Amino acid sequence: MFPTPSFVERVSTDLQRDLLAFLPELILCATIVALLLARLVTPLSRKHLGSFALLASGCALAFAICFWPERSAPIGSVPLSGNVEGFSSLLVFDTFGLYLRVFLLVFLCCSLWLSLLTGIPDAEDSADYYTLVIGGILGMMLMASANHLLMAFVAVEMASVPSYALAGFLKGRRQGSEAALKYVVYGASASGVMLYGISLLAGTFGTGSMPLISRAVAVASLGEGPTLPVLAGSICILIGLGFKLSAVPFHFWCPDVFSGAAAEVGAFLSVASKAAALALTARFLFVFSGSSRTGPDDLSGSALALGWAFMAAVTATFGNLAALAQTNIKRMLAYSTIAHAGIMMMALVAVGPRSVGPLLYYISGYLLMNLGAFAIVALVRNRTGSENLDAFRGLIRRAPLLAVGMSIFLLSLLGMPPLVGFAAKFQVFAVLYETGRDLGGHDGMIAWVYFGLLVVAALNTAISAGYYLKLVKVMTLEDPADPSPIRVSIGSGALVSILAGLVLAAGVFWNPLTQYANRASQSFDLAPKFEKPAKIPKDAVRPAIGPKGKIK
Amino acid sequence: MTELGLTPYLCLGAFLFCCGLLCIATKRNAIGILMGVELVLNAANVNFVACARYVPQFALEGQVFALLVIVLAAGEAAVALAIILNFYNNHSTVDVDKADELKG
Repeated sequence: MFPTPSFVERVSTDLQRDLLAFLPELILCATIVALLLARLVTPLSRKHLGSFALLASGCALAFAICFWPERSAPIGSVPLSGNVEGFSSLLVFDTFGLYLRVFLLVFLCCSLWLSLLTGIPDAEDSADYYTLVIGGILGMMLMASANHLLMAFVAVEMASVPSYALAGFLKGRRQGSEAALKYVVYGASASGVMLYGISLLAGTFGTGSMPLISRAVAVASLGEGPTLPVLAGSICILIGLGFKLSAVPFHFWCPDVFSGAAAEVGAFLSVASKAAALALTARFLFVFSGSSRTGPDDLSGSALALGWAFMAAVTATFGNLAALAQTNIKRMLAYSTIAHAGIMMMALVAVGPRSVGPLLYYISGYLLMNLGAFAIVALVRNRTGSENLDAFRGLIRRAPLLAVGMSIFLLSLLGMPPLVGFAAKFQVFAVLYETGRDLGGHDGMIAWVYFGLLVVAALNTAISAGYYLKLVKVMTLEDPADPSPIRVSIGSGALVSILAGLVLAAGVFWNPLTQYANRASQSFDLAPKFEKPAKIPKDAVRPAIGPKGKIK
Repeated sequence: MTELGLTPYLCLGAFLFCCGLLCIATKRNAIGILMGVELVLNAANVNFVACARYVPQFALEGQVFALLVIVLAAGEAAVALAIILNFYNNHSTVDVDKADELKG
């Protein structure tokens, strides 16, 4: 019962390794504590703490880049392909998680910079705002590297609870409080349903560890197929994730929350939380598909893939059709977010390493263009006090830089070459086509699902041109009601130019980002193979503390 | 005393879950909806505790799950109540049907 010295030594070396790999998250934790304590110190209590938060996040980002596998960091190092399980296999450090961690931290830095420029938290509220944003990002980073159902649920809650509060951050506004109320009511229900699903799944398999469950699912699928609790549990979990992804029919919160909350918060919800939810969904889909039993495309035969494909197609189509009628720009961007989530879900239908690469590329490109679009909405709101289409009328005469930047972001969201949106959509379409073609040989019906998705995706791109180009037309061709120029500060100009430049650069030179994304997707290639259990180190997947509380 | 076995507990969990969902779907009072959410979370907790008792290799994990869920539910309820209070300050009601200004 008592731990032996060798056990203590192994645990302490493991802990040191895990904590080092966890350093970026630890920095964010320390920042949160520091931000909260700063309110107690009299000279700091009235200061705007944005620059401190930005500095700390930059620090965390630098460490996260240092731990990137290619750098072959000696500590906490993750092999270029493969994964290391940390904290008694609660978390997994693989290239997929590390890629998303860097991406989320980049987003955090950009969004903190944006909040400094637009001044949405004033000095009084700055500590609260940055605590919530950093806490939310921390939860999303954990979502991206969760390896255990408990960790997944804790991470989802860590990411959503700050989001609820952020939606209602502007306390005196009627619309803000309504948005927060709707978000918290729907969100709490969805996470409750998800937890119930987790309890069924974990109880049935007697463990919450995702690799173990995925092997058990693989074993079960050889026999009589999934039992009722497993089926119900999987469906409940997918409902919870579908809510986070704002997939139809769980999308109704998204437009209301986006139009009620500030544009900065909208950017946070649309980019970061979608990215984290997609990452977690990818991990879950691998679990449910029994983790590459015979091959990564094995799921494609199952009903799960068909259902998922249908949901993705409906989500993309509904988002685009609803966006056509909007006059509030934030609401339009919310529906556009739903549509893009649908396209990203399509990439996940072809579960496998080759679909995760394009998905990661899409997420990265989406970060640049959607953050840029929300940033411009926030900047225009600050000058004109309106977020409606009318505020953008003739923007080219009033603020040429903002109008050109917005046009670049919108055209990229539409998927025009040579912008990053085109490259991202192209890769998703290519993966759908290739999967369909490869399957065509032995299962014609399923292959047509992929070709059907391809057609839906192409039609959606055409529909989305309607509202994206309408806004571009309003900005450039129509006459402004109030021709007075809008002053753009140097910092705002710099942020918009940098984002627009990156959208253009990443669209012209795909290769570096694509290579990183594909490398990151390789960690799914090495998910424990069912046929060769000998390859899995025993300690890696087994909980550190075994049944009956016996310590191994 | 005879052992009941796992099934009755799972049925209790499922019953609580359905009650919670029904409460969420029918209540118009935001606090009532929040209570429905708590029912759903507790349904999951009944499952965890029962499985911890009857599934040998889940003994510790199940209890840890249950403890963390209690903590998370408390945190979520605190934030939700704060948001409901803020809604009340702005709208003088906690009826979710009155939250209809945002639509389209």
